[in-house]
Order: sequence, then C-alpha cells, then structure tokens
Amino acid sequence: MPSSERLSRFQLARLILIQEIRGLLAAPALWIMLIIVSLLVGYSFIQAVELFSQASRTAKSFPELASGMNPMEGIFVPTFGAYYLTETLLLPFVAIRIIGLDKQSGALKLLLQLRLPPLSLCGIKLAAMGIVWLLSLLPALLVLVFWHHLGGHIYPPEIAVLFAGHGLYSLAVVTIAMFAATISDSLPTAAMICLAVTLGSWVLDFAAGGQSGALEILGSLSLTGMLRQFEGGLLSTTLIAAFLSLSLLFFLLTAIWLHPGRRSAFKLRNSLMVLLALGGLLAGASLAPRYVDLTENRKHSFNPADARALRQLDKTLTITIHLDPQDSRFLDLEHDLLAKLKRCVPKLELHYAATGSTGLFSAAKIDNYGLIEYEYNGRQDQSYSNSQNEILSIIYHLAGMRVTSEPVPIYRGYPLVADARSNRWWFYLILPLFFLGIGIPGCRGKW
Amino acid sequence: MKHFRGTHSQAEGMIQKQPARGLRIDRINKTFGTYRVLTDISFTVVPGEILGLIGPNGAGKSTLLECITGLLPVESGTVSWEDENLSRQRRQQLLWYQPDNILPFAGQRVAASLSFFRRAHGASEADLEQLVDGLDLSPMLNKPLQALSKGYRRRVLLAIALLSRQPLLMLDEPFDGFDLKQSLAVMDLLRQCRTGRTMILSIHQLSEAEKICDRFLLLDQGRMMGIGTLDELRRQAGLSPEASLEEVFLAII
Repeated sequence: MPSSERLSRFQLARLILIQEIRGLLAAPALWIMLIIVSLLVGYSFIQAVELFSQASRTAKSFPELASGMNPMEGIFVPTFGAYYLTETLLLPFVAIRIIGLDKQSGALKLLLQLRLPPLSLCGIKLAAMGIVWLLSLLPALLVLVFWHHLGGHIYPPEIAVLFAGHGLYSLAVVTIAMFAATISDSLPTAAMICLAVTLGSWVLDFAAGGQSGALEILGSLSLTGMLRQFEGGLLSTTLIAAFLSLSLLFFLLTAIWLHPGRRSAFKLRNSLMVLLALGGLLAGASLAPRYVDLTENRKHSFNPADARALRQLDKTLTITIHLDPQDSRFLDLEHDLLAKLKRCVPKLELHYAATGSTGLFSAAKIDNYGLIEYEYNGRQDQSYSNSQNEILSIIYHLAGMRVTSEPVPIYRGYPLVADARSNRWWFYLILPLFFLGIGIPGCRGKW
Repeated sequence: MKHFRGTHSQAEGMIQKQPARGLRIDRINKTFGTYRVLTDISFTVVPGEILGLIGPNGAGKSTLLECITGLLPVESGTVSWEDENLSRQRRQQLLWYQPDNILPFAGQRVAASLSFFRRAHGASEADLEQLVDGLDLSPMLNKPLQALSKGYRRRVLLAIALLSRQPLLMLDEPFDGFDLKQSLAVMDLLRQCRTGRTMILSIHQLSEAEKICDRFLLLDQGRMMGIGTLDELRRQAGLSPEASLEEVFLAII
C-alpha cells in the first residue's frame, strides 16, 4: 500500500478546485464563448457609442435634452446586452460540462469516492465555474477603460448593480445547467433542458411585455425580467433573494441528485424539503422588501421630502386607473410614478379598471378612459394627468399634508460625442487572439 | 444451465465459518425497474485475500461492485467491515472501486491526472514513480489520456487505483485490453501491492483469474453460483483436481 500523506478536507477541496478549473480551461466551449463575448461586446460598445454620440450632438444644441443623456442607459446597458446573449445561449454549454462531462467520462464515480460529500463537490465545481467566469469580464473591463479614455462618465454604483445583475443571472444559469446535467443521461440532453429554461424565460419576458395580470407577474419573475430590473439600477432585496433562492434551489437539487447511490425516495423527500424551505425564505423576503436606488439621476426615487411624507400615510391609498395596460400613458405612469409609490406608500391599493381602448389613437369605448381616481381616508379626487407633481399634489391634498421638496442636485446628463471605432481591434482581434493563445494549449491538455 | 445446489445456505454457512474480519456482504438484492440484477448475494473477503468475481458479461459483477461501494442503491442487504455496518463516509475511507471503461479527465495530460489522484489519495511521489515504472507509463506522461491506446489507458486507470490507500481495492476488469505478457506483469504488480490490502477483481477471462485470485465467487444472471478456492469449487462441481476454472465454471452454471 502506498505511503500516506493524508490531505485535510480543505486541502482535498483545494486540490479538486484546481483540477476542476483545469478541466474547464481545457474546454473548447469556454474559449469559443469568450471569443464570441469579446466580439459581441465590442460590436455593442461601438454601436452604443455611435448612437450616444448622435443623440449627444442634439443634446448639446438643446441643453434641456442633456439630462436624458445617461451613459448607463445609453452605453452600458446596451453593451452588456451582449453578455445577456452569451449567458443565455452559450454559458449553459460550458456549465453543463462541470457535471455532465464527469458523468460521461466516469470521473464522477471516482470523485464521489473521495472524502468529500456531494454537497462539497458541487460547491467546488460551482466555485471553479465562478473563477473561470471572471475571464468573461475582461471585455467589460476594457469597455470601462475605453469609455473613460474617450472622456465618458462612469458612475460606479450603477455599474456595480449591472455587474451584480449579470453575476446573479449567470449564477442562476450555471446552477440550472448543473442540475440539468445531473438528471440527464447525456450532455446534449442537459444542454437542451438548460436552454429550454433560459430561452423559455426570454420568451416569457417577451410575451409578457405590455401585458397585465398573471402574465405580467410571470414575466417580471422570469430570469430575463429580473435581470432587467438590475439594468435599471434599482437594487431590490426581493430580487436578490429571488435570484439567490433560485440558484440555491438548483444547487441543492444538484447536490441531492448527484450521487447515484442515493435512493429515489431520499432524493424526492429532500428535494421537497429544499423547495419548501427556499419558498418560505423567498416569501419572507418579499414580505418586507427593501430598495436601494443606485442610479445617479435617482430616477427610481421621489424627492426625499416626498418619500418621507408618503411613508407616513397610515391609511389605505386607493388608485383606480382607467387605462389600457398597453397604452403608452399607462406605461409612463407605471414606470415614472406607480412603481415608486409601491415602494413608498405602506398601504397602497391599485385597481386597473377594465377599458376598451387599445391606445392613444384608437377611440375610447368608455367615457372616462384615461381617468385616474384617488381615494384616501374617505376623500376622493380624480384627474387625467399622469404628471408626477400633479398626482403627488392630489395625494397630499387628500391626506391633508403640505410637503415642500428638498433641494437636490440636478442631474444634467453627460452628453458626449466620441468615436470608439479605433478600439475595435481590441475586441475583434487582440482579445480573441489572447483567448486563443491561452485556450489552445489548455484544450491540448498542456496545463 | 446447472445451478450450484444449496447456494444460499452454503454461502451463508461459509460466512458463519469465517471470522468477523474483513468485508462482509450480506444478502444484497438489486433491481433495475422490474429486472432483478442481483439476488441475495452474500460473501466475505478476509484481509489480504484476492477474491475473483467470475461471470460472463451481464452476470452482475460491475453492479455488485457499485452496490458494495455505495455508487448504486440496493433494495436490501448490508455491507460491513469488521462487523461495522458501513455508512457512505466509512466506505469512502475503506473501499476504492475502479470502474471499467472510464476516461477520467480525458483531455488532461496523464502526468497531471496521476498527480491529482496521487495527492487526493495521499500517496507519495515515490509511490507514483514506482507505479509509472512498473506500468511502463513514462513515455505517455505528457500525452492526454484520450490520446492513448486502450492498453495504456488501462494502465493509467490501474495506476490511479493502486495509488489509493483504502484497505479494500475493487477493480473492474483489470486485465481487459492487455496481452498475455502485459497481464502477467500487471498480476505481478498487483501481488506486490496486495500487502496489507484486500482485493476484489471482477474478471471475465477465467485463465487470468485462475492465476491471481485466492478464491472465486461465481456469478451468473445476478445469482451466486458458488464461492471458494479452486479446489473447493472443483469438489463442489464433482470435477477432478486437474480441472481448470473454466471447466469448473461451466460445470457449475
């Protein structure tokens, strides 16, 4: 018998982590994904800068338009759209390998005999995937550097939320891929299951756009819908809890179902327990939501004085809206005001009255189409306006409050006319060659 | 098909005669859906012994090894070591099972894979060097496992298994893919490594099993047809002392 240099569990875990990273770096799928992400990010960035510059030219002529020139919305969200595509369509093919390839090659049978429980093994595999995923951030970091170099403005908290959103989205995709690989007999089946979830989420979000009721709720709870809320710069505890619960659910399901020596009854019982526990956790988190508006223009927030006043409303504020959910006025109202009211007013009831109109230019089938009714503490008022100031005045009037806005810094926007085309070689040539340069030896088993 | 009369009672009788040392398998049953793969398998393996699991393809040899390791759940039955019923954690400490037809970390260099398992098993570099020399793996160390011939892949797997430090080693078809000379060399290596270890070898080539195993467990269609030394099996089959394992096997099943 060989002489012994027994490793501690921590040392064994570190050894397996290095082995997993090595395995991922030997995957052609990873390097192909990185090259594609580099090309897509580069293209998106150059296009975004071009469009932003066009709009900025107008904004420089008409300064009142400048406040709409927000680099987060004009540059970073569109550029990071490339990441969404990659995370949705390509990341599953890399992530399924960390379980699927070991199952297919038989390595899993050996790993499961080492002195680590399946939960630890899954944790190590997830950590390895997370470390390798950091490589994909290289194009994004280049975007930040180039945008800064072009004289563009960067507001770090907004960028941090965007990174966090994509990080959580990727985490969810990876854990779904791990579970898909665990319950599948082959890598193609696992890939199809994972893509069905990510693409299904995309389709659901698309179908739910401009809809109301259950479809709207489902759409906002889809992975794509949740990511979009991060892109808006609003940090929500409910959203973070939802992403983490979903990821934790699939991670734990993977750990439960990974070991082939466990009985089906054990797997089903534990899966149910995990599902109930995480469902309860998520329900708890959604009962007391907290929001942090990390946008520079504070677009998700009222003036601090308004926010304080609205939080003091101790009776139920009822708002009845006679607008079609697909009407642009309704969408403006929802995004500019109702969403903020939902976060501030402790007892808010929204009623969406049935309407027959389909939009601004179609004939309303009811006389009060467009009307918004307000009721607070037995007092009522109504208006056709969807202006924030006017609506807040109505609410304060109903509540018998006088609120004076606090002076806040005025967001003036950051218009910039620039040309990012000179950076294209970095995304189209240098970075892909860099990935090829370190990827080819990895794929040949040199590491 | 002949059935070894009184398989269960005799197998159990043999178990009762054995001291409570080593591995004890008691009434393992395994089904896949409605198909019964293993039926009431009971036997013991004493420390230092090499037990050959003998049977045709599909007899249930690999399934039995996976059930013992805990890589497959069983419908009933227990696995114990020194009278201790083994949990999954204890099996990880005491048993190492090397499956057949696997290609772990196929894209990595053989040296990297062996180094990983050496460290994971807690073996020394000298142990690895000895195995690399013994299995003539030196020319292949810088190649990925997937680029090797079947014979070399088998040697790498054997090296991985022999790096393990668990007292019970279970190898699935360790001689498959080797020619006669290579098989003999591997047998020599296994004999060198048997000090302080117990081995269960799943073998379908009877001539090779006869050369290395101390006792044999004959399996057919998931049933235990007999267990014992070659002489005991010859007597049980009513054959002459010169009868080969192949003749014994054919007489018993």
